Amino acid sequence: VVNKYLFVAYSFVWLIFMLYAWNLSRRQDSLKRELDKVKSRIAETAPAAASGKSGS
Amino acid sequence: LHFALTAAGLIATIYMIFLYAPEEMTMGEVQRIFYVHVPAAWVSLMGFLIIFIGSIVYLWKRTQFSDELAQATAEVGFIFCTCVLVTGPLWAKPAWGIWWTWDARLTLTFLLWLLYVAYLMLRNYLVNPGRAANLCAVVGIIGFVDVLIDYMAIRWWRTQHPQPVVLGGPESGLDPRMLATLLVSWGVFTLLFFLLLRMRLRLAGMRRELSEIRHVLAFKVSED
Repeated sequence: VVNKYLFVAYSFVWLIFMLYAWNLSRRQDSLKRELDKVKSRIAETAPAAASGKSGS
Repeated sequence: LHFALTAAGLIATIYMIFLYAPEEMTMGEVQRIFYVHVPAAWVSLMGFLIIFIGSIVYLWKRTQFSDELAQATAEVGFIFCTCVLVTGPLWAKPAWGIWWTWDARLTLTFLLWLLYVAYLMLRNYLVNPGRAANLCAVVGIIGFVDVLIDYMAIRWWRTQHPQPVVLGGPESGLDPRMLATLLVSWGVFTLLFFLLLRMRLRLAGMRRELSEIRHVLAFKVSED
């Protein structure tokens, strides 16, 4: 039979590290999506702006 | 490679803790908490050392990376310090008969945890990022005094907390298999700390890139 204090201590340690790693990767995914969105918007508007400037 | 090394190390550590290290004679099985409690404590102290260095470099050179490093370390260090404060009482209750006592080592470790919390709260609640970075750097430098006293507390004073078993003088020492397990666990906790720190720094880099792009866009819009 595993000692209950030992069990709780190890469970807590693994749980907190897994939760933190999951939280970090979730924040990274959300920032990456936002970055991709901003970059694609720039890519879309840049040719239009360039053609507008060359036309004038 | 870093991830693979950490994962392999974690498996090896679990094997060593539960199957290789012998059972301690007086405390029995619960003493195995030692192999996560002590490395987590070492890493929390090392974390604040990195914050201290990052804070000094930030105030001196004003490099953004040193501020980001200190901020990322505070977040990761806080996780490790929380592990220390949870595993400690879980070991103290069966070993001493009490969950907590306000002796020098325990109190200073609790203060270290509060310093991590204060650092993160300042960072999140101050609206001006430059002011937050300056204030956090000051907390990072002043707070390091606690790390030094915390490390020396069990060497200077006789406390409820045990005396050091490694680098603690002629009367300290461990069974060779216990020592090997502790050292492997310490190495793996250090690897895990740097793995999480790298992930957190990548996040900071992405956040910086996004804010730079937004800044340039806002400038262009105001120019037009």
